[in-house]
Amino acid sequence: MTQTISRRDFLKLGTAAAGAMALGQMLPPLVAQAAREAGQLNAEGDGFIHSMCEMCVWRCGLIAKVVKGRVVKLDGNPEHPHSRGNLCPRGQSGLMNTYDPDRVLTPLVRTGKRGEGKFRPASWDEALDIVASNMLKIKDKHGPEAMVFSSTHNLSQPLFENLLYAFGSPNYGTQRSLCFNAMIVSNLMTYGMEEPGRIYDDKLKYILLTGRNLLEAISTSETHDLITAIDRGAKVVYLDPRFTKTAAKATEWLPIKPGMDLAFHLALLNVIIGKRLYNAAFVEKNTIGFDKLKKEVSKYTPDWAAPLTGIPAETITRIAQELAAAAPHVLVHNGWRTSNFVNSFHTQRAISILNALLGNWDVTITEAAGEESGVLGVPPQPPFPRISALRLDGVPWKYPVVPFKIGVFQELRDNIVKGDPYQAHGWFISRQNPIMSIPDRGKTIEAFGKMDFIVTIDIILNDTAWFSDVVLPEASYLERYDPLLPVGDKVFLRQPVIEPQGEAKSALWIYKQLGERLGLGDFFQYADEEDYIRQQLAPLGVSLEEVKAKGYAEAPESAHSGEAAELSWNTPSGKIELYSDTLAKVNFPGVPTWEEPPTPKDGEFYFLTGKVAQSTQFGTQNNQLLHKYSDEPRLWMNAKVAARQGLADGDWVEVASEVGKIHTRLLATEAIRPDCVYMTPGYGHLSKGLKTAFGIGASDSAVHVTYTDPISGSQALSQTFVTVTKA
Amino acid sequence: MTDIKHHAYLFDATRCIDCRACMVACSVENNIPMDKTRIWVAGLGIQGEFPDLHRSSMVYHCMHCDHPDCMSACPVGAYTKAPDGPVSYNPDVCIGCRYCMNACPFGVPHFDYDKGIIEGAFIDKCTFCPQRIYNGQEPACVQTCPTDALEYGNRDELLKKAHERIAAHPDRYIDHVYGEFENGGTSYLILSHVPFSELGLPNLPETPVNEVSEKVMEMTIPFALGWGAVLTAVSAGVAMYDKKKNGKTAEEQAEESK
Repeated sequence: MTQTISRRDFLKLGTAAAGAMALGQMLPPLVAQAAREAGQLNAEGDGFIHSMCEMCVWRCGLIAKVVKGRVVKLDGNPEHPHSRGNLCPRGQSGLMNTYDPDRVLTPLVRTGKRGEGKFRPASWDEALDIVASNMLKIKDKHGPEAMVFSSTHNLSQPLFENLLYAFGSPNYGTQRSLCFNAMIVSNLMTYGMEEPGRIYDDKLKYILLTGRNLLEAISTSETHDLITAIDRGAKVVYLDPRFTKTAAKATEWLPIKPGMDLAFHLALLNVIIGKRLYNAAFVEKNTIGFDKLKKEVSKYTPDWAAPLTGIPAETITRIAQELAAAAPHVLVHNGWRTSNFVNSFHTQRAISILNALLGNWDVTITEAAGEESGVLGVPPQPPFPRISALRLDGVPWKYPVVPFKIGVFQELRDNIVKGDPYQAHGWFISRQNPIMSIPDRGKTIEAFGKMDFIVTIDIILNDTAWFSDVVLPEASYLERYDPLLPVGDKVFLRQPVIEPQGEAKSALWIYKQLGERLGLGDFFQYADEEDYIRQQLAPLGVSLEEVKAKGYAEAPESAHSGEAAELSWNTPSGKIELYSDTLAKVNFPGVPTWEEPPTPKDGEFYFLTGKVAQSTQFGTQNNQLLHKYSDEPRLWMNAKVAARQGLADGDWVEVASEVGKIHTRLLATEAIRPDCVYMTPGYGHLSKGLKTAFGIGASDSAVHVTYTDPISGSQALSQTFVTVTKA
Repeated sequence: MTDIKHHAYLFDATRCIDCRACMVACSVENNIPMDKTRIWVAGLGIQGEFPDLHRSSMVYHCMHCDHPDCMSACPVGAYTKAPDGPVSYNPDVCIGCRYCMNACPFGVPHFDYDKGIIEGAFIDKCTFCPQRIYNGQEPACVQTCPTDALEYGNRDELLKKAHERIAAHPDRYIDHVYGEFENGGTSYLILSHVPFSELGLPNLPETPVNEVSEKVMEMTIPFALGWGAVLTAVSAGVAMYDKKKNGKTAEEQAEESK
């Protein structure tokens, strides 16, 4: 076609080309050329390219404005159902992640002690050889299970899983147990799916949010849906110990006592069943175990729940009656997590069951296809080797109902420290920051100390990379391809809008290169990123060029159960399981059951964390644009309590739990329960390679105590109690 | 969007979640330095005592007044009010006197103390994104708003929409569109659930301040010329009197003193 080098040829050149680039040799502007051929850029290299955001996991569609090979502005793509033309502050700031002056631009190899932050640049060839040889050494000496692999939810995860399962390790850490295991496992037990889809239509009348701070933990389209529902006059009842921005917009804010959401929801079930307010026809036809549920919840009266929750019995009764009156145009929102306690699984079950009793199925909640689509092609690959070693995270031998691909991350860390049931020796981390994300940071650093070899793939020197032996620079989401994402009846593309900075490479490229060096090349049968996507598109009969131009392709949606005459669910009984035999068989209560959570001693506070609209977990604090518009992360304490303790707004305080202490500044506010303190998570970074974020705020993970919900494996993130004293 | 005769914004405080996407979008679109901004959050924030609380906040930028005080205060004509709405600032003309900062009732123009006289561009404020609105796009702040708290369009239509919202939910809104008449009308219209003073907005008369001041200022030249004529006449009279009295001119006196 043309004489110039194509992207595919470039990747084949591999390390030779990368080496040339390291010497400062200019390479042809490949992205620009491909974009020009697709008509997206003009001869000057200016234009608009469609792609997808990755500032959180919601993945909005975006349109990148490119001027002379630099991305200068991102706008939401109106055609993408997750963005509808809008982007949140994180999405707007995305180009600052790419142009972060702290980007890692070459592979790095540690030269000093771990945590000292001394690295030397290395070529891709050398770095990949070091990683592969260390992984093979550990495999030879201790077995493949001695390598731990962890990664936070992203589009190249299928290839990450290929690497770990082909390598033969069962040890897979995801972020989910630190976030929403309770919600996922409860929905699996109830509906046979991880998370039912939510429908916000014009008829929606009533929304019950349990700690789902949707106006600060923004999911662009759903946040828009909620505001629109409020605007239309839908009633929103919001449970949260804190007066968040969602509380400010809700019709009714109930500052419930932490850990007591379960009591509230059990009492709602009690009223709805006791007063026969449920949809009897739906329950009769589509659920099993109603009688067992009825018997259990009969003891959980509003009068019983009132002193536990701090919410008057008549309020609970009224809300139950309002829910029933508005049904089925009612959404009892699971949230991603409630205030997380060891009883959170039962809370989530109660929420899932409330939706079933009110007959909301296919009205406000429905089957969700998830991210896997049967319509896309996959490159051929051999079966994975049989893995017989136990998982270090206790799935399933300690956590029998937690899915393999979700796991219990904090337990994995604990068992690395204990060396039980065996010692792990290597850790392969991609796009994740376990040093900051797992509770009890000191213990995570201790687990790192047990490792012979640690490699981290990221775009910046995050805290985990800081403690690693090799750091591999990934191309940012504006610089690379990822596998396609099905959303509804379309599949969306993430494509590079600019050339990678320095020598950064896509995860698809890195995993393939490593796979080949580990003798696992058969699991990565694609020539390059474009070839991978072409193989995905093959069954649709759509060309990559077409998808590049539009940013998406039409794809027939897989059959929806709602259209069938008889509803059915992917549970053992095929019905919605109010009583779960699966749970009962492994000696867990089959219906939601009260479990009293621990409470703070005198002088202690519940230590709460949450979300703000200007950051995503632990990964965006170094983004200068977000930093510019973020509030200073302080410790919220009720103003009257602070005054009683002799603390003033702005004072430096010491926050101490049984595992750690931090210093931070106080925010004395009326917007929190007197028995709680709150801190925005994700600050207090250890890596001096994060020049914007380092030195700002304190780390919640340094204070969080590890408690795991025995059923779902969820970290009980709100179960840490702290003292607060003047620093 | 050629059909827009008067470009305007409608901000609805009941829909704003204070996420600051507009602020980031503006910073990127207009390449604003990291320590500067053209959009601010205002308002009293969280009010009341636990658990009886409410929140008052809004975002604002240049209001693009129909009678811009910045423009009438500017001694060198650095500000222009376009017939279709935007108030723009020309750094090439600005002398950095900061009169506009004092004149603006909303405190919008900001002075860049870091830049010397040589670098120019002393004042920074919202431009209404002409590079976007005259190319069929919404202003950056509006386009990104995840809750449609910010809308963009023809002022007449936005005003109509605002009044329709108030009529549909009289219990929710204060029965007033801020900016419809304030200071003679602005192009940034505001709907609120709390008194506008809680959002930090000044209570302005309908008659624009500068209408009064400009009337006074318009008199300056005639007054100056008139006063000048009077003074000239007086001094001429004095000179004549002197000459008569001494019988010599000033020059003659100077000659003598040598």
